[in-house]
Amino acid sequence: MKSLTGKTLLAIATLTYLFMWVPAIMVIVFSFSNDKLGVRWEGFTLRWYSEIFSNVAVRDAFGMSLTVAVITVVVSTAVGTLAAYGLYKYKFRGREALRMSLLLPIIMPAVITGGALLVFFTRVLNVPLGYPSILIAHISFGTPLAIFIILGRMARIDWSLEEASADLGADRLTTWRKITIPVLLPAIIASAILIFPWSFGDFTITFFVAGAGDTTLPIYVFSALRFGETAAINAISTIFVALPVAFLLLMGFYKRKK
Amino acid sequence: MENSEGTPCVELRNVVKGFPGVTAVDHVSLKVEQGKIFSLLGPSGCGKTTTLRLVAGFETLDEGDVLIDNKVVNDIPAHKRNCSTVFQTLALFPHMTVEENIAYGLERRKFPKDEIKNRVGEALELMQLSGMGKRRPSQLSGGQRQRVALARSLVLRPRILLLDEPLASLDRKLRKEMQTEVRQIQQEVGITFLYVTHDQKEALSISDTIAVMGKGRLEQVGTPNEIYETPRTMFIADFMGATNIFLGKAITSGSREVQLESEDGLRVIATKNKDIRNEEIAGISVHPERIEVLPEGTDLEADNKFRGKIAEMNYQGDFTEVKICLNHVDRFITVHLSNEPGQNARFSLGEGVLLCWSRHSSNILIG
Repeated sequence: MKSLTGKTLLAIATLTYLFMWVPAIMVIVFSFSNDKLGVRWEGFTLRWYSEIFSNVAVRDAFGMSLTVAVITVVVSTAVGTLAAYGLYKYKFRGREALRMSLLLPIIMPAVITGGALLVFFTRVLNVPLGYPSILIAHISFGTPLAIFIILGRMARIDWSLEEASADLGADRLTTWRKITIPVLLPAIIASAILIFPWSFGDFTITFFVAGAGDTTLPIYVFSALRFGETAAINAISTIFVALPVAFLLLMGFYKRKK
Repeated sequence: MENSEGTPCVELRNVVKGFPGVTAVDHVSLKVEQGKIFSLLGPSGCGKTTTLRLVAGFETLDEGDVLIDNKVVNDIPAHKRNCSTVFQTLALFPHMTVEENIAYGLERRKFPKDEIKNRVGEALELMQLSGMGKRRPSQLSGGQRQRVALARSLVLRPRILLLDEPLASLDRKLRKEMQTEVRQIQQEVGITFLYVTHDQKEALSISDTIAVMGKGRLEQVGTPNEIYETPRTMFIADFMGATNIFLGKAITSGSREVQLESEDGLRVIATKNKDIRNEEIAGISVHPERIEVLPEGTDLEADNKFRGKIAEMNYQGDFTEVKICLNHVDRFITVHLSNEPGQNARFSLGEGVLLCWSRHSSNILIG
């Protein structure tokens, strides 16, 4: 493939990838640099990593993000599965309208959602800002996402599986437990894999509905940047690039083993 | 539970089932004899699958009764009825092994573990699947999956096995093999089979009794021979391939035969039973294989004789489908010419021929 078009294509592809990855690569490189601002190379060091691991604020923020993300994933997938099942299998008035309305949280700009939720929590209902508000906001976004992913899979499932289960003597609950959920599991896991990073890394909506003292990791990073503590940010960011990459590598390895 | 002589295994009494806009099952009554293969045959949309699902319990009926072993089961849910279904898509649980699939029903019935193991082993042997127990459905061939589906249902020893076009997704050769297997398995196991199909050849080859359905109604119930040789209505005749249909009125009749004048003025002779009244007779049909084709000039005595020219020839392997346009009349007769060497004189397109068949090959159609 050493033709001219082949070479041009290769060049364009390489440039594109570089363009996408250079910022990330720079962050990773400078996380090991002995520079407070994290923008110049001043010698190799691991001090930023040890700093963030001993920094209580970072640990707390990480803890909050993790808690929110885990709870969001669990609730969103559970509610999402049940909702998708109902939307798919039962015919009722307003079904289409309901299905369409679930798109709203996903397509609305985050700023508007955040702002609207803040007003809602403070003026309309009296929802304490902090874990309650953040969780509600995240679950309101994660559940429609889960519903759509699971609905998509449901359209490709052979539903006579449920009838076969009933035919063989299983009541509704047993069929649900032994057949429906296992068959839907790939979709449920897919939605979890999508919702977790979204929830963990969400800034805009969380920023609006978090209270004064509550910091999730993205909010911490934002605040830290404003106060010029950029080196630590590099370290945090590097970890959050490394983790999904490691996860993907593991998945690839596992798949190849099969 | 022993079935007393003559009690049908499954019975439908005047069953009606409708969906928005259409009556899928329209006052159907039938009796399925114990220990036989009973087929519901008809084109798509005729109601045969709905009827099967009513027996299984996947649909609730609007009117009438469904009885299994003389007991009304209308309100008994599917998972409590003593029947088992083999689905068109087979519906094998993809996340379970073959063994787990077959054991599923037994586990639901709380059979002890060793009993389950025994029965599953037996089933695998009966279906020639020994050694495949730990495989997943996706690792099996089409025919093997069929057999797992059958095993999964049969292992429960149901009163009746319901099969919804189970061989529809198989290729022709495999389908023929499986048809023979299904028949053999049924004879070995002795369970009543209620079989739904749209393939008349399949129904003819495996059934003890066939019920032909059209537009939700039962058109005719009889042995394969009866349905094929003496279809009662034009719909059945056409569906079973007796595509030469003469509609008209009976003009003369003796006690054993009748002469019909068709709408286009042709005279056709058929044998008839005593109990058919002339007013009922709406037409006559003839199977393509029952018509003899002879060179035009042949001088021959025959009950039914017509002359025409060959308009079309379609090679079908073991026979050639030939369409002949009759002289003086705007009508085509379809004939199957056997391609066995030496069977027939060779004919060519446009050639004039003589067609004839005996009165015994004509079927009377009731209006």
